[in-house]
Amino acid sequence: MIENRPWLNLFAHLALILGVAIVALPIWITFVAASHEAARMMQAPIPMLPGGHFWENLRATLFGEGLSGAETAPVWRMLLNSLVMALGIAAGKIAISIISAFAIVYFKFPFRMAFFWMIFITLMLPVEVRILPTYEVVSDLGLLNSYWGLTVPLIASATATFMFRQVFLTIPDEMLESARIDGAGPLRFFWDILLPLSRTNIAALFVILFIYGWNQYLWPLLITTDRDMSTVMISIKQMLEAAEQSPQWNIIMMTALLAMLPPVAVVIAMQKLFVKGLTETDK
Amino acid sequence: MAGIKLENLIKSYGDTRILHGIDADIADGEMIVVVGPSGCGKSTLLRMVAGLEAVTAGRILIGERVVNDLEPSQRDIAMVFQNYALYPHMTVRQNMAYGLKIRGMSRAEIARRVDEAADILELRPYLDRKPRQLSGGQRQRVAMGRAIVRHPQVFLFDEPLSNLDAKLRVQMRLEIRKLQRRLGVTSIYVTHDQVEAMTLGDRLMVLNKGVVEQFGSPIELYERPASVFVAGFIGSPAMNFLPVRVEGDAAILPNGARLPAPARAAGEATLGARPEHLTPDEAGPVAVEVEVLEQLGAATLVHGRLEGTQHEMTVQLDGVRAPEAGRIMRFAPGQLHLFDAASGKRLAD
Amino acid sequence: MLKRVHFPASPLPYLLVAPQVLITLVFFIWPASQALWQSFLIEDAFGLSTEFVWFENFEALFHDSQYLASFWRTLVFSGAVAFLSMSFALALAAFADHVGRGAGTYRTLLIWPYAVAPVLAGALWLFMFNPTLGILPYLLEMVGYEWNHHLNGTQAMLLVILAAAWKQVAYNFLFYLAAMQSIPRSVIEAAAIDGAGPVRRFFSIVFPLISPTTFFLLVINAVYAFFDTFGIIHAVTQGGPANATTTLVYKVFNDGFVGLDLGGSAAQSVILMALVIALTAVQFRFVEKRVEY
Repeated sequence: MIENRPWLNLFAHLALILGVAIVALPIWITFVAASHEAARMMQAPIPMLPGGHFWENLRATLFGEGLSGAETAPVWRMLLNSLVMALGIAAGKIAISIISAFAIVYFKFPFRMAFFWMIFITLMLPVEVRILPTYEVVSDLGLLNSYWGLTVPLIASATATFMFRQVFLTIPDEMLESARIDGAGPLRFFWDILLPLSRTNIAALFVILFIYGWNQYLWPLLITTDRDMSTVMISIKQMLEAAEQSPQWNIIMMTALLAMLPPVAVVIAMQKLFVKGLTETDK
Repeated sequence: MAGIKLENLIKSYGDTRILHGIDADIADGEMIVVVGPSGCGKSTLLRMVAGLEAVTAGRILIGERVVNDLEPSQRDIAMVFQNYALYPHMTVRQNMAYGLKIRGMSRAEIARRVDEAADILELRPYLDRKPRQLSGGQRQRVAMGRAIVRHPQVFLFDEPLSNLDAKLRVQMRLEIRKLQRRLGVTSIYVTHDQVEAMTLGDRLMVLNKGVVEQFGSPIELYERPASVFVAGFIGSPAMNFLPVRVEGDAAILPNGARLPAPARAAGEATLGARPEHLTPDEAGPVAVEVEVLEQLGAATLVHGRLEGTQHEMTVQLDGVRAPEAGRIMRFAPGQLHLFDAASGKRLAD
Repeated sequence: MLKRVHFPASPLPYLLVAPQVLITLVFFIWPASQALWQSFLIEDAFGLSTEFVWFENFEALFHDSQYLASFWRTLVFSGAVAFLSMSFALALAAFADHVGRGAGTYRTLLIWPYAVAPVLAGALWLFMFNPTLGILPYLLEMVGYEWNHHLNGTQAMLLVILAAAWKQVAYNFLFYLAAMQSIPRSVIEAAAIDGAGPVRRFFSIVFPLISPTTFFLLVINAVYAFFDTFGIIHAVTQGGPANATTTLVYKVFNDGFVGLDLGGSAAQSVILMALVIALTAVQFRFVEKRVEY
């Protein structure tokens, strides 16, 4: 603040509070809807204040048979699938990216640049532009309706590889020379020096990739047909379809709340890492 | 313990030759300082001895062993880097122990060696700290400690003091010298600082554009520089150079003054006179028009031009003097050096 | 790109890049080349024979009024999402930058929608705009406006735009605030001494200085609106009513997976690929250049 203008500060705070309210409104309505009985949620106008059935709805949603009319597995099962998928994608992307960045930065070998560009190309080929043929490959490999199919095809990552490459390039050359004089081979250097030095970058990347994996939609939609393998994002869509016939908004909104809880909690709890990850992966 | 031998050592990157055949015989326990301006190839030379750069041609021997194709870790050397290259995520103790641990040394022996090094370097209180919690001088000492614990045959120093402030640099310079004497380990020390080179080295190797200009003791280099380059590089303030014409026993300065020629020559040559070897003398042949004075307390530096010419000259006078600007001062020359005008080589006395 | 020093040659680097390269080949490059190949083929109705037809699939697409319509629709949709979320985020970031010390708190309160999946954002807004139950149609009705996005294409479009923009505000806010906070205080103070008030300073100093961020966000938001909003559209409108919200990506999915038009869908994929490549090129060519503050 350069000059002291109380009315301007007040106005700024009011505008920000209004902005926060607008952004938070959908979540509030979701929370309210998740805390009322099904019957109350069928009369317009819907309530704006929370009701007393939150825990009851929570139990029904998590362990009940889901929504009547929607062929979905219990929500806990789908949350578990989402968790496995998110963790698998995050860990897989980090693991294969960090070792390829290590190879590309610290070794000089034939076809090095060819590999680099091959990885770069993945940046230009999101699932959306190669839907059918990728589905066919996964289907031919027998990976439909499996955790492998949900994770492995998504774990190639140009951005993660670039980020680690950037991190390694900022580590002074003398660190490698010193390690060589100390007698450390490549794998030992990677494990003892590089990995500990990239710790915060790994954590930041993990936060971003966890959210990315958790929120996947198109991919699980393509390759899961078995209701036991479906993720919570897919179930939301199925519930919305069922809601056309028998609206049970309290259960749907409770499911939505459960589905957004893990990534939102990660963002708020690890805000620093989240911001670091976001700004570093997008350059 | 072992000496080091360099035989016609050559380094090229593609078509660019960085080192043009370096020969050196370094005795066991000797401390050699390789000195030269940046880009002269001195760091490359050191890194070749360390095994961090491949040898294009020639041989490196440590003791009786040709080490050209050995990995750095197999050469029995230790190196101190300019930026110390301490592992930032390890404590001082872990930093020092890392190399020993990789070699599979027993825990007890590692602990004994680390403690021993910590005592020598007075690092005991800092053993469990991380590098970032240490001052510059302490980090420098940890880098030294990491070298000492290995009990290597050779120490290699790559400008280890250039990241320190001036005062600490002088102090650490003395410590390194004492330590090297005490441990008696053959050492190669690279620097661009000629004062550091003069004070540390048993012998100095002056490198210029990948060629050894001169290799000898500090006093030899000071008193009998082999070339204009060495003469200008060693000594502070730098030597004065004047173009002269030699006729018989006399060297004739550009303003016509005659000095006794310090060496036999004929025709054009370069005359060198150190600022501290010119003494005020009312009857002296060298006349300088005073322009600027620098008062250093113990000495006074007089900057000016050779009378009647544009040739700049510097003279160092003892104590506090205050000649006025614009005045002409006359000096008698003490020790003089004569170099070939074309090649810059020293002409025989 | 490369270190000055390396480890000596060995087969190790090949083993290290192998997993990534293998996955890239199997799940990226092979399917993409399949799409490219199929875009030149026409399959008969029973999938028994295929014929190589050069660019006929592409020609058909560019004569297909529905496809062209979805192309323009996608541009309008992306432009609206980018403009809405960026301007809202810019205003909030400017206020947050102004209040200084409290900015961190507001940041926490504003960035979490980033973590909400697009399909969930769609579900939330769908519920708020539910024609019979939703709170907003209820309010709109009071002022005499009837809302039913099941029937009204414009309203359906507006709904998906709102849901998509809402989620992206967090991202834009974060980058705008960071850009504003990285402007040296002395520049702002100099402008204040020159007599510029807060509003004038924003438009003549701050906004021009953060223009690289604006450009960067424009590219990022375009990519987001093109590709990442599939979940919203699939969950909220299924491209309807009467294709009013069918974007390019939704159309590829629908024609390929639901309509099983192999050649046509492949040709659409190839066009999308070209678009991503262009956007990536723009991002790498221009966005890397940051002005010096």
